[in-house]
Amino acid sequence: MSHPKTPHVVDARYMEPPEPFVKTMEMLDTLKEGEKMLLLLFREPHPLYRVLKQNGHAYEVELVADGTFEILIWP
Amino acid sequence: MKALLSFDKAPPFAAPLRFFLTAPFFGLLAGLLIVWEGPSLLVSRWTPGALAATHLLTIGFMLQTMLGALIQILPVVAGINLANPLRVARWLHGGLSSGALLLVAGFLFGQPDALASAAIVLGLTLASFLMVIMPPLLRARSSSPTVRGLKLAMLGLAGTVVLGVVLALALAWGWPLPLIALADLHAAWGLGAWGGVLLAAIAYVVVPMFQLTPGYQARLSWWLPVLIFACIGFWSVSLIFELPLLGQAAQVVASLLGLVFCVITLRLQFKRRRARADATYRYWQLGLSCAIIALFSALTVVLWSTVANSNEWPLLFGILLVAGGFISFIVGMLYKIVPFLAWLHLQNLGQSKVPAPAMNKILGEKAMHRQMLCHLLAIALALGAVFSPDWLARPAGLALVVANAFLIWNLAGAVIRYRQHALVIAQKLAVL
Repeated sequence: MSHPKTPHVVDARYMEPPEPFVKTMEMLDTLKEGEKMLLLLFREPHPLYRVLKQNGHAYEVELVADGTFEILIWP
Repeated sequence: MKALLSFDKAPPFAAPLRFFLTAPFFGLLAGLLIVWEGPSLLVSRWTPGALAATHLLTIGFMLQTMLGALIQILPVVAGINLANPLRVARWLHGGLSSGALLLVAGFLFGQPDALASAAIVLGLTLASFLMVIMPPLLRARSSSPTVRGLKLAMLGLAGTVVLGVVLALALAWGWPLPLIALADLHAAWGLGAWGGVLLAAIAYVVVPMFQLTPGYQARLSWWLPVLIFACIGFWSVSLIFELPLLGQAAQVVASLLGLVFCVITLRLQFKRRRARADATYRYWQLGLSCAIIALFSALTVVLWSTVANSNEWPLLFGILLVAGGFISFIVGMLYKIVPFLAWLHLQNLGQSKVPAPAMNKILGEKAMHRQMLCHLLAIALALGAVFSPDWLARPAGLALVVANAFLIWNLAGAVIRYRQHALVIAQKLAVL
């Protein structure tokens, strides 16, 4: 799945915890320098935010009309 | 990477568990009270027995589980970590349980000292809780409708507590206040500004997460808690300045907003991706159906004052919204949260070397479903008892006792199995 923001997308909207977390960390491991990834969820993943901050990753969040949180993450 | 899954910030299992395991005992006490008092309890909502049973369910069951769950899920839904969740849980649980029992004793035995003590214990406990939770919550950015909803819900809790304390002290010390109007307002704050807003804020997260449904539309989820809160605010203003039309308009809009939330949640559930209907899903369907009937009836009685002023309607509304609605939502969530937390803590205990058992090994689907049928029977009998108290009041109380005893059995069984698995995991780790 691709998205206008980035081709690296984890669509976790219909996944049960902790799968969104696991998939996101797996994709982050595969990103090359300068690449960004997008996580799609119907909630804000606060435990993931904490881990991203601990690991020095940056992210920005946008809530779109259908209730999806688009979380753009980069190393 | 797996080490990152340790969720080291999650509160200890003992923090929320004490609330979850105590709540059904209050439900059981409510049932015993109905069996003991029998038909006279249902003469009106103002009988000492009805007031006592209502508060056994609203403080003893609902508030207990809502605050216990909140301590657990604040880090997940709002990124807020309390400094010492176990210590907060201990005094909050003690204050809530003893305060609820004092209040019930005050109502039942007409004891002013018990009523005043209950007001002081509950007032101080909940004010302390709000002082612990409000600073970090207000500092958190309202980055999602859930965080904004939680902030409003806490204000709703504060309003409910202030009104409740004033009412209990007024009853105890004979203050000349319009008790009936204030009690209506206390109920509106408790069930709308606190319970309703909290339910919506949490549902935005847990309905898509637990039941694999689509999400709530962003615009609606931003505004719904604000509008419900505003309606309760206008309702309060209408009482202070004696503006009955404004009060009626606020009641109509608040009921409509509640209906919108219930209908949208039902629609989302019909679009879920999880094929199997589990206990949480069924409990939510029951809760939504009861809440829709209750809110629809609240809409109609605004225009039909003879029904509103009858003894039956407030009892029916209370049974449908509290026992049928809120308690169904809560038990449905407990059946997801307790096995999930047990699994999570076992997973951490296994340190990625020994796997945790599947959640259905901790609490089986069949047991949850059977318990739900008892709960459904209790609601049906309680509704029938409003019209035929001589025949049905005691059977309704008995059904409530059975439903809550079954809930205790299920939850305690899950905890016992959790402890057994924890022992096995510790033994396996020792030989690795």
